[in-house]
Amino acid sequence: MIRLDNVTKTYGLEAPAVRDASFEIAKGEFIFMVGPSGSGKSTLLRLINRQEQPERGAVWVAGQNINEIAESKVPYLRRNLGNIFQDYKLLLNKTVSENVAFALEVIGRPKHVIAQQVPAVLDLVGLADKGDRFPHQLSGGEQQRVSIARAFVNRPLILLADEPTGNLDPATGEGIMRLLERINTTGTTVVMATHDQRIVNMMRRRVVQLDRGVIVRDQERGVYD
Amino acid sequence: MLTRISYALRETWVSFRRNITLTGAAVVTSAVSLLLVGSTFLIQRAFDNLLTRWKGDVELIVYVRSDADATQIEVIKGALESQASIIDVAKLRYLNQAESYAEAEKLFAGDPGTLRLLTPANIPSQFKVVPISQDSNLIRELGEQFRNIPGVREVAYAQDVFDVVARVSQFIRVATTVMSVVLLVVAVGLIWNTVRTAMFARRREIEVMKLVGATNWFIRIPFMLEGLLQGVIGGVLSCLGLWGLNTAWSGAVADFNDTELAALVVTDGYMRFVMVILLLVGAIAGAVGSGIAASRFLDV
Repeated sequence: MIRLDNVTKTYGLEAPAVRDASFEIAKGEFIFMVGPSGSGKSTLLRLINRQEQPERGAVWVAGQNINEIAESKVPYLRRNLGNIFQDYKLLLNKTVSENVAFALEVIGRPKHVIAQQVPAVLDLVGLADKGDRFPHQLSGGEQQRVSIARAFVNRPLILLADEPTGNLDPATGEGIMRLLERINTTGTTVVMATHDQRIVNMMRRRVVQLDRGVIVRDQERGVYD
Repeated sequence: MLTRISYALRETWVSFRRNITLTGAAVVTSAVSLLLVGSTFLIQRAFDNLLTRWKGDVELIVYVRSDADATQIEVIKGALESQASIIDVAKLRYLNQAESYAEAEKLFAGDPGTLRLLTPANIPSQFKVVPISQDSNLIRELGEQFRNIPGVREVAYAQDVFDVVARVSQFIRVATTVMSVVLLVVAVGLIWNTVRTAMFARRREIEVMKLVGATNWFIRIPFMLEGLLQGVIGGVLSCLGLWGLNTAWSGAVADFNDTELAALVVTDGYMRFVMVILLLVGAIAGAVGSGIAASRFLDV
């Protein structure tokens, strides 16, 4: 589903954010990218959704070398990728339902499809009764559920999560992990960058560890360190 | 498809209202600049009317009485053609009464009272004379000789009006053109800036849109429509202003209906043509300004 071949990415004159990284992620896998801040986890995610282009090496997603596709095709690539962030990136002037519907609206889905899929995905994330609330009326955990609903409503092949539990207390974070696990069982590949040891140790999934841009460990059913 | 269109229109309107001061500045500037563009057109047209008699280097006109018979006209023509050393015989033109009347319709556009007295039957026909010689005294001497030929009603010299008017018209044309071009550039810049500001205010939304796979055109179109709308509203305002100016001017000129000033008026048909031009220029200015901004700032 995702493959990196000897990928190097440098920002400006600094030491490479990612150096000579190679790994492969199979369809339906759940994988953690771990490491301290600045170790290159986020850069790897940004390389996979083509927010960044590598200097060297190639990134393959769903059988395509995404560094070689035309700029105009990038939006269609992104429709296969859901994104979740530490700060949720919700639109504050829109309700929960509108935030989720927005993701479908801007890729031109017809109204009746939106009307049907938004309540379904809100139900899945456990917010069926909060569609009319605005983000500021929700707890952090609930806001993250909205952002997961928005990322998943289009049924992407891959979910990219960048520190999704970073702003949440442990119990709430666990709830989010259970939700991601559930989404993973539908066949969606989940790639999650985190430095939350507790969660990684609890889940016992594949762990790729980064240290200053270099992959130092790639372990099935791994722990944080 | 319908979802996309309604989305684009809704977003355009929301953004348009949100930034009302900047939008207002852009609209007013484009309106003023377009008003100047329109005025340039009208002033030019008015002077063209005034000078229409003298088009094509005509320096001398011999007016023939409306009751002159064919023989008299032939005599006048023969006399003119015999002066090949002073006048350009190849360019000598005779305007019969119908042609002269068509010309008078322009000339007296601002003076319907005079125009009503004229008919294709009572209007003088005329010989338009293009001289070879640059010597104005020679041309005047020649003209005076024709005053006494039977059938000649009057002789007119371009020198009397043409030189001054042509110079004034040229000056006004250059001045208004320069001013309107400068203002138009300012208007495009202001539209560019409002669209940039609108995009900056919504950078979070744009970021989310890009991440969920909205195409660049989908993101861009509401912003481009916003700029287009500003340009078109500016165009509409300038049309209203121009119409008001022209109406007031025509009213004022009507008080001078015995003078050449009466020709300095444009007709409704030309006015409509200029209005269409202004709307088009406004729309293009808006689309260009916002198009540049929308392409450049999509990476917010």
